Amino acid sequence: MQKFEISYYDGETSVSHNAFLSLQHDSWIIEYIHPLFGNRAVKWEIDRVERDMGFTSIFIFRYGDFPKQTLECKDERLLNSLKKFYPDKPFFDKKIDFLLRQSTTLILGLTASLIGLIICSYVYILPWFSEKAAGQIPVSMEIKLGEMMYENTIARYTKNDSLTACVNDFVKIIDFKTDYPIEVTVVAEDEMNAFAMPGGHIVIYNQLLAKMKSKEELAALLAHEVSHIHYRHSLKNIFRTLSGYLAISLMLNDVNGIAVVLADHSNMLVNLNYSRNLEQEADEKAIEIIKANHLNLNGFVDLLALLQTGNTDLQPFKLLSTHPLTKERIAFVKEMAKGQTAMKKNDSLEQKWQTIVAFEKR
Amino acid sequence: MESDQNYSRKITFYGEGNKLFGIYIVNVLLTIFTLGLYYPWAKAAVLRYVYQETEFEGSRFSFHGTGKEMFKGFIKAIGIFIGLYAILIGAILTKINAIAAIGVIFFYIALLLLIPVAIHGSLKYRMSRTSWRGIHFGYRGILKDFMEEFVVGGLLTIATLGIYSFWFTIKLRKYIFSNIRFGNISFSYKGDGTEYFMLNLKGYFLSFLTLGIYSFWFVSDLFAYFIDNMRMNQEGYVIKFRSTASAGGYFGLIVGNLLIVIFTLGLGTPWATVRTLNFVFSNIIIEGTIDVNAIQQTEMDYKDATGEDISDMIDIGLI
Ligand SMILES: [Zn+2]
Repeated sequence: MQKFEISYYDGETSVSHNAFLSLQHDSWIIEYIHPLFGNRAVKWEIDRVERDMGFTSIFIFRYGDFPKQTLECKDERLLNSLKKFYPDKPFFDKKIDFLLRQSTTLILGLTASLIGLIICSYVYILPWFSEKAAGQIPVSMEIKLGEMMYENTIARYTKNDSLTACVNDFVKIIDFKTDYPIEVTVVAEDEMNAFAMPGGHIVIYNQLLAKMKSKEELAALLAHEVSHIHYRHSLKNIFRTLSGYLAISLMLNDVNGIAVVLADHSNMLVNLNYSRNLEQEADEKAIEIIKANHLNLNGFVDLLALLQTGNTDLQPFKLLSTHPLTKERIAFVKEMAKGQTAMKKNDSLEQKWQTIVAFEKR
Repeated sequence: MESDQNYSRKITFYGEGNKLFGIYIVNVLLTIFTLGLYYPWAKAAVLRYVYQETEFEGSRFSFHGTGKEMFKGFIKAIGIFIGLYAILIGAILTKINAIAAIGVIFFYIALLLLIPVAIHGSLKYRMSRTSWRGIHFGYRGILKDFMEEFVVGGLLTIATLGIYSFWFTIKLRKYIFSNIRFGNISFSYKGDGTEYFMLNLKGYFLSFLTLGIYSFWFVSDLFAYFIDNMRMNQEGYVIKFRSTASAGGYFGLIVGNLLIVIFTLGLGTPWATVRTLNFVFSNIIIEGTIDVNAIQQTEMDYKDATGEDISDMIDIGLI
């Protein structure tokens, strides 16, 4: 008869008894020497023995009603004996046993799958979710966010006040078919670039403006950027890029957090490149705007050609950013321009354009 | 037996980061796949492990709580929160300003009143599920009394713009400790509100002046103020606790944990947890006459885990 060394607690006091456990067919016998009462034996009915599930190598069993008796055993052979003696007793809940074994490979596998899960959600689920979330942002808030980003960005540039005023006069004559309040800022910069911010702000570099030869080109540029705003492309892009931060802010229902994140990153965000699909969408809407205003679509073709020359300026990064795939876009707009009818002269627009040209000359 | 009763003792934590990591990883995955429903089991597993690796006088502590018990509490807690939110949203949807305002006020008052309920329930559950050598801990506080303490203290804190909070904290600690039992051992807390206030005042002031460097001394002072004022009483014998945590020790702990968590992108959290528990237990010395073999079972059985889960939802950190 095998006996196991155990510690036994009777549930009444904290005395730790050094005891011996022997396994019987339908019961456990615990024998110990009580300091006052001498030799004692306790019988545990096998059906009422409970095991404390744990993750250490100490086996703990409890017995009876509250307050329960407890035995602790550090002898690993007990496990094998229990399995042999009571093959059908559920001392070992299979599920927990599975966790208890904790083999290194299992843990590594689980860790790998957790990391995989995190990466997968970060790369695919989070951006998708963020884009959807961007769609839920109310327009009023989008405008506020855009305003904040604009304030942050524009501080880096030198604003050209007179040109800004002229271009905004120009904007007022065109119907851009959007509810967003469009506000253009012209800045002094030796590059050909323009970008739109959420909520209605458009920034144009004066170098680009200077290279334009007709009002149609400016109208096309504005129509294209307004379309980005109208379809919330830039908001969606920003959410996609900053999805990690923004998901946390959204989860915490923290609107201020979103504002801070956007403000902090606005410099980096304005030059995000749009995907091919978004550019296509913006071009289609721009064409619609230009047609509705009875302007010549060839201005759009000229604009794209102009931007293309800008891109060849030994600026490999610029080629990838802002407006990619110019060749395909030119082909598409040319195609659309072929069938264009119902163009009208627009004297007031021409007049505003001449004012812009005049100011540039100064 | 009398001879070995009077010396200083320590609680030792034997937990290992890699074991705790194994438990965490399983917990995280199951919690994700069950959309959070596994949470009570996850919590029970961590508590069970931590308690089982904590040793005093050669015997380990046990946590008897089960995921099932905590799940019932979890469901009740969710029910309470859904109910509260339903009232809040319902009131706002009426679009009548007065009703909406009442709804919002009711919501916040209910939320504030839930804090003492949660602390009380959580203590009662957690203590009853903790044992050492088969002797259970217990919490004998009475909810009504605790609520009264809490509401009075809370109102005074608001009225004094937070200044009273130091006295309030000490009062709560005194109430809670005086109601903790470990078999026939009772507890008490000897802190004093004014002293605690001065300690904090000094801590804030010096931390500010030294651009935060003093904060490590400050946290170790706060820890010491908590530990040094704890007392146990066994049959008339007073047992004291003493903190040996130093500012340098705290610095190592906090900076080390930050580095671990940041550089492992959070995966190293279990190791940080183990370091913290090691630090806390290794810096507590228990002094005085205690007969570890003469603790009598005194507490009743108790099974309601709702407080435990409400306190999780409103994020109250208990020991
Ligand atoms: Zn574009």
